Amino acid sequence: MNPEKRFHVASPPRWVDRILQWFCAEEVIETLQGDLHELHRKRAQSHSKFKADFYFILEVLDVCRLFALKRKSRSNSNYTAMFKNYFKVAWRNLFKYKMYSSLKIGGFAIGISAFLLISLFVKDELSYDKNYKNGHRIYRVLNVSSDPSDPGKGTAFPAEIAAVIRDNFPEVEKAGRIIPYPGWWDSGNNQFRREDQKQNTYEEGFAYLDQDLLEILEIPMVYGDRTRALEKPNSMVISKSKADKYFPGEDPVGQTIILNEDESTPFLIGGVMEDFHTNAHLQFDFFITLTGKEFWPGEQTNWCCWNYNPYLLVKEGTDPGDLEDKLLLIRDNFIVKYALEQGDKRAEETKQYFSLELQPVSDIHLKSADIHDAVTRGDIRIVWLFVAIAGFVLLLGCINFINLSTAKSANRAKEVGLRKVVGSRRWHLVQQFLSESMMFSAISVIIGLLLAWIMLPFFNLLSGKILFIPWMAYWFAPLILIFIMFIGLLAGLYPSLYLSAFRPIDVLKGSLSQGSKSSKLRAAMVIFQFTTSIVLIVGAFMVHRQMDFILNKKLGFDKEQVLMIQGTNTLGDKLPVFKDELLTLSQVQNASVSDYLPVTGTKRDGNSFWKDGRSKMDEGINAQRWYVDGDYIDTMGIKLLEGRGFSDMASDSSAIIINQTMVKKLKLENPVGAKIMNWQTWNVIGVIEDFHFQSMKKEEIGALSLVRGNFGSVLSVKLRTIDMVGTMQSVNSVWEEFMPNQHIRYTFLDDNFTQMYGDVKRTANVFTAFSVLAIIVASLGLFGLSAFMVEQRGKEISIRKVLGASFQVIFQILTLNFLKMIVISLVIAVPLGYLIMEEWLAGFKYRIPIGWEVFAIAGIMVLFIAMATVSYESIRAAVVNPTKGLRSD
Amino acid sequence: MKIGAFEELVLLAVGSLGENAYGVAVKELLADKTGKIPSIGALHSALYRLEDKGCLLSSEGGATSERGGRRKKFYLLTAAGRNTLVEVNRLRIEFSKNIEGLNLSLDES
Repeated sequence: MNPEKRFHVASPPRWVDRILQWFCAEEVIETLQGDLHELHRKRAQSHSKFKADFYFILEVLDVCRLFALKRKSRSNSNYTAMFKNYFKVAWRNLFKYKMYSSLKIGGFAIGISAFLLISLFVKDELSYDKNYKNGHRIYRVLNVSSDPSDPGKGTAFPAEIAAVIRDNFPEVEKAGRIIPYPGWWDSGNNQFRREDQKQNTYEEGFAYLDQDLLEILEIPMVYGDRTRALEKPNSMVISKSKADKYFPGEDPVGQTIILNEDESTPFLIGGVMEDFHTNAHLQFDFFITLTGKEFWPGEQTNWCCWNYNPYLLVKEGTDPGDLEDKLLLIRDNFIVKYALEQGDKRAEETKQYFSLELQPVSDIHLKSADIHDAVTRGDIRIVWLFVAIAGFVLLLGCINFINLSTAKSANRAKEVGLRKVVGSRRWHLVQQFLSESMMFSAISVIIGLLLAWIMLPFFNLLSGKILFIPWMAYWFAPLILIFIMFIGLLAGLYPSLYLSAFRPIDVLKGSLSQGSKSSKLRAAMVIFQFTTSIVLIVGAFMVHRQMDFILNKKLGFDKEQVLMIQGTNTLGDKLPVFKDELLTLSQVQNASVSDYLPVTGTKRDGNSFWKDGRSKMDEGINAQRWYVDGDYIDTMGIKLLEGRGFSDMASDSSAIIINQTMVKKLKLENPVGAKIMNWQTWNVIGVIEDFHFQSMKKEEIGALSLVRGNFGSVLSVKLRTIDMVGTMQSVNSVWEEFMPNQHIRYTFLDDNFTQMYGDVKRTANVFTAFSVLAIIVASLGLFGLSAFMVEQRGKEISIRKVLGASFQVIFQILTLNFLKMIVISLVIAVPLGYLIMEEWLAGFKYRIPIGWEVFAIAGIMVLFIAMATVSYESIRAAVVNPTKGLRSD
Repeated sequence: MKIGAFEELVLLAVGSLGENAYGVAVKELLADKTGKIPSIGALHSALYRLEDKGCLLSSEGGATSERGGRRKKFYLLTAAGRNTLVEVNRLRIEFSKNIEGLNLSLDES
């Protein structure tokens, strides 16, 4: 029979059936599959096998509905329940042992907040100059000298450099220059006013800039066109904040500006730029155009003088290494050529030693430690130092957690044993203790975040930055989550492996000695903590001492009580009268006009000098030539060793006073009366003692000469007074008579001097702050351990007391162990600290020796803190009534 | 008790099939009465929902070879299911009274 045959043929395709079985839940498959098969058979009989199969497939696809699908989670409900239990137990333990919990969390939270703060700092340091659209194509050009007698890298080039590069190298798209040197004509600071107003205001942050550089650095404009803002001669671009200050609510483009009361060259505002972001290596408010600028006749094409910092925008795909090689053309065709024209005997040597280098713009902030430039910048070494310190403080917090967790393991041993007996695998217990440490780490991170938030203003003071916590950033919450997991894992892994390894039989029989295992490891970790603390304390001490050393070193000039009145160039012809007027005040001892002062931010002027008549024969020596007036030496308290100072004699126009170093370098036997020359001949009339006019970090005292000049924008006034407020009032009233339209502006020489060493001071402060944090964290851990040990040996102590042990003996027993650890830490920390500090001090030309007393002080300090920490619990144990300890069983 | 329009139809079909109400039979009855062939997936989904709501009771029958060795599941209308049908119908008639010229009661047609 046909139906019989069909009966066999007509079963639905197996693979579809399998799919159905795969996704369908057990409890619905029975009837569902039955119905589907029945339908298939009916269709196969009434229509055809093919149609039946087709409908079968459709129906199976249609069955993919919520009711039919397998529910995975249902079989795992046990799992979540266990996690709930883990957290419940963890939470109960947290409150059961409040002291230990708070020690763990406290140490953790401090470490985490330190880490967070440093992370903010590092993130900021790393963010410099990263936001240019064409950042990978922007380079700063460096000149590199490998001359053994004068090695170094610099950023300054002659004026024509940009034009030469632009004309000769097709791979360079744009080349632009900046003169950032304060004191170079209007670069640096100026008296600033709108043409239609009288009141002058002192402004800083001026620089000369090429139109092209505006485009290379992609400076965002508020008003005006970036491609044309500095196009016209005597145009200027000002920042948004300055525009808001002087032209509130209007577009200042086309307005006229007068600098330093010089109405003969008014400046036209060509554009307004956004304020520089704090993480740009250049920070200026005013750019004066270099278009059509010539500082003296022929200056723009003369290869004599190196004052321009060039930047390049190269074309896509240009290899900087190749371009550097090609740039050597400039050395051969221009620099050497100029030297030959001047009859410089060393011209050929230049070829050997001189090269050009391209520095990516994003490297400028952190990787310029060896480059002589005019940019305030960070130091990649300081960044790494901070990272290391933060890492260590965090690690100390983790160690506390590990130590206290394993020490207190006895409390959890029974739990572990019981869990194992009722079926927990080791992995389950690892999970349990990891989730517990995650919980601790989450609580600690939250508290750490709060701490960081509270400490941020202080940290900003320390680090000299304006940082904030990016709560709202999209990456912040996920990052914190990852951080919590990471810390939880770091701190929890060892304790969880340790705790989960207990054998139930030992634990439940009670034969597990409490926390005795791995006490060596704990000791090692305590030693690590204290070694770190001691090194940090030694570091803090040394940095502070080095600071003091520099700030109080005999400088060769007297920086105390010197008032520097700035902006006196606007007095013009009235300057000498003003000076005389000031000298009539009883509090004023002396006064001198000069822009050249022994603190940074004032003028410098390098020159080559020879003995008279030997300029074509000898190599010139490099020396400073400072224009000062006749009162300079007295005002600054510089010691005159031989000869005389400047007088009003007309012949003094070619008189020169030189320092000891210069005498030595020129090899003058009878300096006074000798003749020396640069491009004119000078008569040496006096020799002064060397004084520090540069930062003592890098440089030794160089050769320096003083020549006669009666001009300058700084009037230094030596005071003799204790009434600073009254004196300032008198000085101010004199100033007001002369300059009613300009506020007096002054600084003190010693303040400026201190500022020179701001970064050393910041390093010192950060060191101090973090060594304090480290010792707090380490002490917390030690306190926990000592409390634990006292608790553990409670019965022993009670019995000893009953048998007649004295307070001292008990105290000794309890503290000796810790004392040993501290001594070992000290032994490790001394050579380590010595090496690290030796490395740091190597960066200073004038430095202190590393004395043993620093280590002694740090050691005694740590010993004292540790002993005080340990003593609290020990003394408590030693004085407690022994019956208390023995009553319990 | 809220039930959807398709659920209402399934309930009616199960009720009218009496003791022989299982998946394929319900499907065929619905196809016969409404002219639309519901898919097995949709039908089973509705049957499970109605069972959850307490409108249906189920019991498993014997396996047959023509069903690939799988058992049938028979459904019975419960008292609650009946009440729900009455309630749905009452609501419908009540609404129809508000609509002029529309009379849904069968006896007056």
